[in-house]
Amino acid sequence: MNRTSFVSRRRMLAGSLAAFVSLGMSSFLAGRPAQAHEAKCPYCKLDVVQDTPTMDNEVALRYGRKRIEYRCVYCALAEAKSAFKGDLSILAPSEIKGKPVVITRKNGNWSAPSGTVFVGEKANHRHCQTTYRAFTSKAAFQAHVQKNKALLKNAKPLTLAQIVEIAK
Amino acid sequence: MNTTPLQKRARVLTAAAGLAFGFFLPAASAQQQAPNPHAGHKPEAGRKTAPAAVRALPPLPDNLPGWMRNKQANHIFYKRGPYNHDIYNIRPLAYDLNAVAVGHSMAYEDLVTGKADRLETATYTRINQVLKNPPKLMPDERMISPTFARRYGVLEQVFDWTHILHAQTVDVLASTKLTQKEKDAEIERLWAFYFESVPYAITPLPMNMAYLDSQPYSGAFRKKYPKVNGLFWGYHWLQGAMYDMLYNKTLAQQRAAYAVVGEQYRKTELYKTTRPFMPMFAEVSPTFSAKFPHIANAFDNLHMLHDMVNDILASDWMTERQKDEQIQRALYLVSAHAHPDEKPGQGKAASGLHDHRHLSGMPGMGMMKGATTEVMYMPEMGWMRMDDCHHCSMPLVGSKPGFRPAQVSADGWTMRVRCALCARDMSAETKGQAILDLPTEDPARSVVLISDDQGNLTLAGEPMPGLVFLEDEGSHAHCDAWSQAFTSRAAFDAYVKANPKYADTKPLTLAEWSERAGKKPDTYVKPQGPVENPYADKTAKKGAVKR
Repeated sequence: MNRTSFVSRRRMLAGSLAAFVSLGMSSFLAGRPAQAHEAKCPYCKLDVVQDTPTMDNEVALRYGRKRIEYRCVYCALAEAKSAFKGDLSILAPSEIKGKPVVITRKNGNWSAPSGTVFVGEKANHRHCQTTYRAFTSKAAFQAHVQKNKALLKNAKPLTLAQIVEIAK
Repeated sequence: MNTTPLQKRARVLTAAAGLAFGFFLPAASAQQQAPNPHAGHKPEAGRKTAPAAVRALPPLPDNLPGWMRNKQANHIFYKRGPYNHDIYNIRPLAYDLNAVAVGHSMAYEDLVTGKADRLETATYTRINQVLKNPPKLMPDERMISPTFARRYGVLEQVFDWTHILHAQTVDVLASTKLTQKEKDAEIERLWAFYFESVPYAITPLPMNMAYLDSQPYSGAFRKKYPKVNGLFWGYHWLQGAMYDMLYNKTLAQQRAAYAVVGEQYRKTELYKTTRPFMPMFAEVSPTFSAKFPHIANAFDNLHMLHDMVNDILASDWMTERQKDEQIQRALYLVSAHAHPDEKPGQGKAASGLHDHRHLSGMPGMGMMKGATTEVMYMPEMGWMRMDDCHHCSMPLVGSKPGFRPAQVSADGWTMRVRCALCARDMSAETKGQAILDLPTEDPARSVVLISDDQGNLTLAGEPMPGLVFLEDEGSHAHCDAWSQAFTSRAAFDAYVKANPKYADTKPLTLAEWSERAGKKPDTYVKPQGPVENPYADKTAKKGAVKR
């Protein structure tokens, strides 16, 4: 069998299956198209952890028409401070699937929805998805800390100003 | 390519050159049979585990050709052509290339004149000064590194001769007098001129880079002199990236593209010290590498020879005699002379890593560390398939007749993609400026778009008043059909007439098309390699997050 036609058929089958699955996911992803090629995080160079059916993981930085993905909110904030000038927004996954916390920087001022808190604990960066995250409430933060005691036993909720300050 | 007659011709030329230049070629050497190309190859022999004092060095092959001992000057000038020095049409690129020649030479001269201890300081500063204030004309490297040229005469000539191929091929691409078809034909003639005029051409075979970089001395230079090594690899990045940047573009498009590429080179690529391996030609010019694999391979092999020589010169545990011998061996390994009758794509299982396989869909790329013929690892990008679209994973080869991939250059890499949408969305997902190279219905015309760091797209080069886009997003199994650029409304209409399923699709202006963003391609599959990161040992410290 011709290899190319075999590969094409395999891809088309994979594509059809993926399209079928993606129909069911579309409501979750509406308004937030995911990045296609799964590249490394531009800041820490580790893989960007992909979203799962129950939890969002990909952090996206929007700058004009660009949408750059990062591994965690720390990486996105650190790059926002060092590599991007001007207004931008960061979509940080929260505890609620499909409802990211939108952090914005306008005219140099950072803001996030009221009630937003962050966990920001220094650990091996392989665990940054757990140790640097945004939450819509303190209750959600506490539930996360409770679930990840090994890594977050001393974690305190951080404000946006505090996590912006430590991200560098 | 059939190398046998060329090799025979090369041997005849060797004898002729010996007479003309007064070389002393012993009769035995002139008449010798092709040596065993794998003589003295002992993959991984004496690798780093052995203490420096007892590190075993692979022996020199016992039947080196006579020309390898030549230390006399032997300058051969350019092939005549109306395009020569047309690189000055893109003046900033010409100047940057002039500075590259100075940088190489300064480093080599200091390395062999007892000034190696100041390479990362005074030499680096001096080179950097030249890079920031490049000379207006191409210098003769031999004049800047006379000691190096005297001591390693034939090596310097190999470098110089292959640099002439570099210079003339980019002159052709920068010419405004030739069509792209004429340029392609002239590039092949330049290759023949390079390969047949002297006996010391570099092999056009895809060499196994993992093998060449696993010698007992490998890595010494980059470890000891990371900043200067970064400059060397930055030069090699530019020398590769410029080919696709120039290919099938008008002069105005080339100039606009170099405004982006030159900035990337001068601000970022020159000063990167985190690369685990030199930039490969196909990583930065995949279109040219696929079209002229023998030339891409020769340039990669030349750059690898640079690295091997650097590593040898930086290995203090070797005696001067051992260094001279190992440089001869390195030169021999990548010479065309050592590989008669060998073909690209052939494996050499019995010889360990020394083989000439290449990446699937990319004959202009030798095997890399940890790679299989299906996938290779690109630092900061992960595992890649060279024959698939990097955005939607659909195959780039074997599509409909006449299919030409689009291309995206951003953040130091250049990737082939399957359609205009894939190019636009991939550039939008990448930090910084980008160049989008989109095919049109006219094989001689490409649309070149420049993305600024916020993702705003502008047309590079001459105005294209009729430019329209078709985008009727569906499964990426057919994205090359539903996402295209056309040079005119008439061409769009003709395509729609031939493909009635797009009859209701409205043509989009560049502004309208730029505002769009596609869905995540339904066909995307993340390529997986045999290990997570084959360079993990080299990048673990450098890539660590500073916290």
